[in-house]
Amino acid sequence: MNALTDTWYITLSSLRARIRMPVFIFMSLSQPILFLLLFPQIFKAVGSSMFAGGTSYLQFFTPGILVMTGLFSAAFSGMGMIIAMDTGILSKMLATPVTRVSIILGRVIATVVVLLAQAAIILVIAVIMGVHIQTGVGGALLALLLIGLLGLGISAFSEGMALLLKRQENLMAVVNLFTMPLMFLSTMMMPSELLPNWLDTFRHFNPIDYAIVGVRGLILNGYIWSDLWRSFAVLCGVAVVGVAFATMMFRKRAE
Amino acid sequence: MTDGKSVIKTRKLTKIYPGNTRAVDGIDFEVKSGEIFAFLGPNGAGKTTTIKMLNTLITPTSGRAMVAGFDVAKNPGEVRKRIGYTGQDVGVDEFATARENLTLYGHFYRLDNDTIKRRVKKILDIVGLTGYENKMVSTYSGGMRKRLDLAMGLIHRPQILFLDEPTTGLDPQTRAHVWEYIRKLVTNLNMTIFLTTHYMEEADRLANRIAIIDLGKIITTGTADELKRSIGGDVVTLSPCDDKDEACKEFVRRTEAILTGKPFVVGTKPTDGELAVYVNNGESAIPSIMSLMTSEGIAVKTISMSRPSLDDVFLKYTGRTIRAQEGTRTTMVQIRKMGNRRRG
Repeated sequence: MNALTDTWYITLSSLRARIRMPVFIFMSLSQPILFLLLFPQIFKAVGSSMFAGGTSYLQFFTPGILVMTGLFSAAFSGMGMIIAMDTGILSKMLATPVTRVSIILGRVIATVVVLLAQAAIILVIAVIMGVHIQTGVGGALLALLLIGLLGLGISAFSEGMALLLKRQENLMAVVNLFTMPLMFLSTMMMPSELLPNWLDTFRHFNPIDYAIVGVRGLILNGYIWSDLWRSFAVLCGVAVVGVAFATMMFRKRAE
Repeated sequence: MTDGKSVIKTRKLTKIYPGNTRAVDGIDFEVKSGEIFAFLGPNGAGKTTTIKMLNTLITPTSGRAMVAGFDVAKNPGEVRKRIGYTGQDVGVDEFATARENLTLYGHFYRLDNDTIKRRVKKILDIVGLTGYENKMVSTYSGGMRKRLDLAMGLIHRPQILFLDEPTTGLDPQTRAHVWEYIRKLVTNLNMTIFLTTHYMEEADRLANRIAIIDLGKIITTGTADELKRSIGGDVVTLSPCDDKDEACKEFVRRTEAILTGKPFVVGTKPTDGELAVYVNNGESAIPSIMSLMTSEGIAVKTISMSRPSLDDVFLKYTGRTIRAQEGTRTTMVQIRKMGNRRRG
């Protein structure tokens, strides 16, 4: 019970801090918006020859951008933890009876709320640009759920790495090392049929691809449960492993 | 104020960091209810490590510490309910108001909303932040932040408040204000305070009892007056030379040899180029010292007399001055920060 209320209050205070720095929320939106405007232009000619049935490149690319938005926001979640360590906020909290796991959970949940809002904004922009969601509002919500699960796992992982690395520069380096390659080693930009064999094999080990495939299915093809379940299962696994890792690192930090 | 009940008690409390650094080396001490108890020592003496063992942030390597009736290692949760902690860094949320910061901590201590509201009002009044409660902390001055930081450890009326170097980095005026607030807490809220400091003046003016700590060990404990009395009535400082060279050290050695054992001398302590002589009565000791020096053919260049300070106490017990070490503050902080990072 205490864990729940503590998590609730920490989520609220983390959210409050983020909303009071709206600059960051919009700054991290600028890159996905730019990609969304730019890439379909660059690949316009390719698009029409690539897909059967008149799917535009924008239509194909939007799921990737939605997942990218969530991924980037989540990956930098640990920065706040490093600030909390450096400023003494964390030590001060740890000297109170607050439930330890709530400190991680509250922060992670706040990150997920923010990244879902960001993904929703991107989705609205995409719809305005002409993207048609095959499964309608229900499918869009399900797509956000997939992105939320990925965000939960990745942001927890980022918090764990923050506790392990303890410095912003180090966390930045690790985040950049992982996020960019994982984005490109997926079906974000090209359908699997056009990927080289090794990459098509690799993507099956890339959790981000499961998110993209799941979201893309909902936007382009409708409810194909056999594919959706696989995405949900993998992303739930990522979330569980991420939270377990963060909790373990936190226990280690707090001795 | 003090009712004689022990609220902190340690036995052979020890913390050894990786690399076999004995940060705290088997210390025993006791703090009574209602006391202001100060740990005085230079940077790196083991003050912060001790406070972090007492407030459950780090686990002792060996030994025991009882805080508010509970063992810090076995019952950290019970200890946390009964203590407040203000660290060296100001651990407040910049993007929240004073009220929001305090309310969050109220929830951590499971207080209901009405109690939180009432106490926030009272505490803000005690630390002089009434009128600023709804302003963002990022607009506060350094002194205001420190006061809010203090206030956050008070929302649950703790039995014991731990203050780690409460005024380090504050200007003298703000420091005096913070002292005033700390005193108010003891009188208004009947709290026991355990604080660490490397400012002698702070320990002298604020604490009922002081433990002097150096290299992880407690050297001596007592009230400021007891400690000062322990080194005699007055301190006569004499310098037999202008330059601090080898010849000068030789003079200091000879002077010390001459004065040691004389009936009016309680003790001596050489530092570079100077000799501190602890005497019962300075006024009568000076002529005696001068005539002794003249008869031995040592020319005294300067001689001065002072009431003993806690620095003299530190000097007597460790052979070093706390002041001499304050110059290395920055390096010590850097070393500690690096250490913290390594330790995690």
